[in-house]
Amino acid sequence: MPAPLSRIRVLDLSRVFAGPFAGQMLADFGADVIKVERPRTGDETRHHGQRIRDSRGNETDGTAAFLSMNRGKRSVTVDIAKPEGQDIVRALAAQSDVLIENFKAGELGRYRLDYASLHALNPRLVYCSITGFGQTGPRSREPGYDLAFQAMSGIMSITGHPDGAPGEGPQRVGYSVSDITASYHAVIAILGALYARETGACAGQHIDVALLDSQIAAASHVAMQYLLSGVQPARVGSGSHFMAPYQVFHCSDHPLVILCGNDAQFRSLAAALGRADLAQDPRCATNPERLRHRQWLAAEIQAVVGTRSRSAWVVAFQEAGVPCAPIYEFAQTFDDPQVRHRNLVMSMPFAATGTLPMIANPLRFSETSVVYERPPPGLGEHTDEVCTGLLGMSPEQLAALRRDGVL
Amino acid sequence: MTCLSGVRVLDLSRVFSGPWASQMLADFGADVIKVERPGRGDDVRQQGLRVKDADGRETRETSSYLAMNRGKRSITVDLSQPDGQQLIRDLARQSDILIENFKAGDLARHGLDYASLSAVNPRLVYCSISGFGQTGPYRHLPGYDPLFQSMSGLMSITGHADGEPGGGPLRVGYSVGDITAGFYAVCAVLAALRQRDMVSGQGQHIDLALLDAQVAAVSHVAMMYLVSGEQPPRLGNASPITCPWQSFDCADGQIVVAVGNDTQFSAFCRVLGMPELATDERFSTNRMRARNRLELVPVLADALARRPVAQWQAEFQDAGVPSGPINGFAEVFADPQIVHRQMLMHLPHDEIGRVPQVANPVRFSANPIEYDRPPPLLGQHTEEVLAELLGLDAESLDRLRRNRVI
Repeated sequence: MPAPLSRIRVLDLSRVFAGPFAGQMLADFGADVIKVERPRTGDETRHHGQRIRDSRGNETDGTAAFLSMNRGKRSVTVDIAKPEGQDIVRALAAQSDVLIENFKAGELGRYRLDYASLHALNPRLVYCSITGFGQTGPRSREPGYDLAFQAMSGIMSITGHPDGAPGEGPQRVGYSVSDITASYHAVIAILGALYARETGACAGQHIDVALLDSQIAAASHVAMQYLLSGVQPARVGSGSHFMAPYQVFHCSDHPLVILCGNDAQFRSLAAALGRADLAQDPRCATNPERLRHRQWLAAEIQAVVGTRSRSAWVVAFQEAGVPCAPIYEFAQTFDDPQVRHRNLVMSMPFAATGTLPMIANPLRFSETSVVYERPPPGLGEHTDEVCTGLLGMSPEQLAALRRDGVL
Repeated sequence: MTCLSGVRVLDLSRVFSGPWASQMLADFGADVIKVERPGRGDDVRQQGLRVKDADGRETRETSSYLAMNRGKRSITVDLSQPDGQQLIRDLARQSDILIENFKAGDLARHGLDYASLSAVNPRLVYCSISGFGQTGPYRHLPGYDPLFQSMSGLMSITGHADGEPGGGPLRVGYSVGDITAGFYAVCAVLAALRQRDMVSGQGQHIDLALLDAQVAAVSHVAMMYLVSGEQPPRLGNASPITCPWQSFDCADGQIVVAVGNDTQFSAFCRVLGMPELATDERFSTNRMRARNRLELVPVLADALARRPVAQWQAEFQDAGVPSGPINGFAEVFADPQIVHRQMLMHLPHDEIGRVPQVANPVRFSANPIEYDRPPPLLGQHTEEVLAELLGLDAESLDRLRRNRVI
């Protein structure tokens, strides 16, 4: 069965993170994604973080960051600061359905590669701009990175230990969550715009996604609590603003997350702990009551949980239907029977190392499989293929452009 | 003109990731029919803060419900009664997308699983969202956000380093696992809709798990583990691969600095009045800075501690150094950029008067998002929808209501 985005071509001018991650999702859905990179250096993530080693232990030029978000694409090197390079991008845009870019607002206008210029050339083009602050507003021309948007969106203010506790203060989420959040919005917006185009609602259009906006939207129900009360939600460590019990407890050997999503689960928890009396206690009758008495309740639960090992509690709680989870490091995540069953780690053939482990797309369609045909490309691996196949260039033209540093 | 005008979504999901996904579809112009249990409704109506009306009286509406249910019509139907099941089948026949998050297998007992409904409407895109997926050893277990934060490895990389005060894994302060799954659900249904309309003419079943989705979201960090076999360290507010990329104490509060390249590092050093740092070979490239972090960071921290946040912020902004204050929500919604982007808006609401909403961050040039419905009251549109789509008359509605089917 052809993939959902078969016959869709994506011209991906974006670098580093939110854009490439979005481009990878479109590639997973079967689009032909052409990644345009700067000659010689390429996407900055090719240089971020540790380089992976091949089977003989030698460093390759792949990095974990680059390899995690660039499968399924063809890499073409083009210098867009040069007029011939701009011509090549324009010629490719004329044959594309989607363009993704994350240059600072206004920068591509200088090269006549902005929405207005390319829309004139190809009115059906869906042009998605992803920036830190958006295309408009007082800070629209500033660069921005994940950490700043974690800080500015308020999510750091609600992550971390409570005031007064050891290590108190706002904490960063351990991955680039605002980049990823913006990626999802970009993919959703692009698919929405393609749908509108194909149902005849409109031609192509310009989409303006900002990391800051996206991350604020994702803080959703916690931000909403502030908006409706005017009170900043307190940091509660690993606890919850909304439910109790709902936190990390310490078994005799390892920590365990335990929570109760409803009153029936709390009664099961009390029984599994051998504390049926708690289920009768009016302080525990409803979630609002438990939330009010959560410190007392946590101490009661901790006293019992601390007497046995984590593996014993996991078995007991799973049988009783009490939601619980060990805090995994990645080795344990990928060794978990459910994670294994779901085939979340797959492997692709990869020139530098033989095979490359990759985290699969989490979407499982009954009729259309996700497409994994290409590993993350080498820099410029497909320049000749694309310039010949789509633009009809001759070997002599390619050689000349390469000599001039355009490709 | 909206992107998804003419698309109908039947939303049987409760609490979080499903409603979050269907709110996005409603923002894009789909007709979203939210099916709720008569009497109590979606559990999220009981979660979060109870909202007061203009006169200070508590209403039945809660902050969590209001955060993820705008743009929908609410109908109440009892799925455990045969008549209720028939209503859902009749509505599914006229829908493009169905979203549900019951435990795997639950809806089959009611004849509302994918096999049953695709027989009624082969064009239906049916999206199941569950904690662990429709298959595998944990498929029957209930799931909540913190389980997926911990099982995906996310908590293991969030928090202070071991040995520091408060060291140890930490939960992200919002339900990131639910939200992540909500985004994937939207990606999936839109892809499947396109597949149906442009390729196959047929709907399909989507099996989305919160655990899978959150593992995919942390993929760039997990990838460090997969290619090296080593667990990435927890570094508090710092990054393992970029430096300086962390929070610093200023004279009156904290600021984060995220220097993404060497040019920005030069500008940063100039603002600090220490231009020589940028040419020091220990710090001249990001790779060297990351390696010599322990030498560099104390020098920077010392300089930054001498002046207040606002002053540094202004100078960094002028110099093009990415930085930002650590905002509480009061500062978030007062920030000039966020105000300019109109991320906060209000909708009229029958009980509350005016309900604040965080706007959809997607800005389309041709299909601006229209917000024409506030989060509905429980069952607000039952009669409207059943009359409009199923042609039920007052008498039938009355009978269904008497039998507590709706």
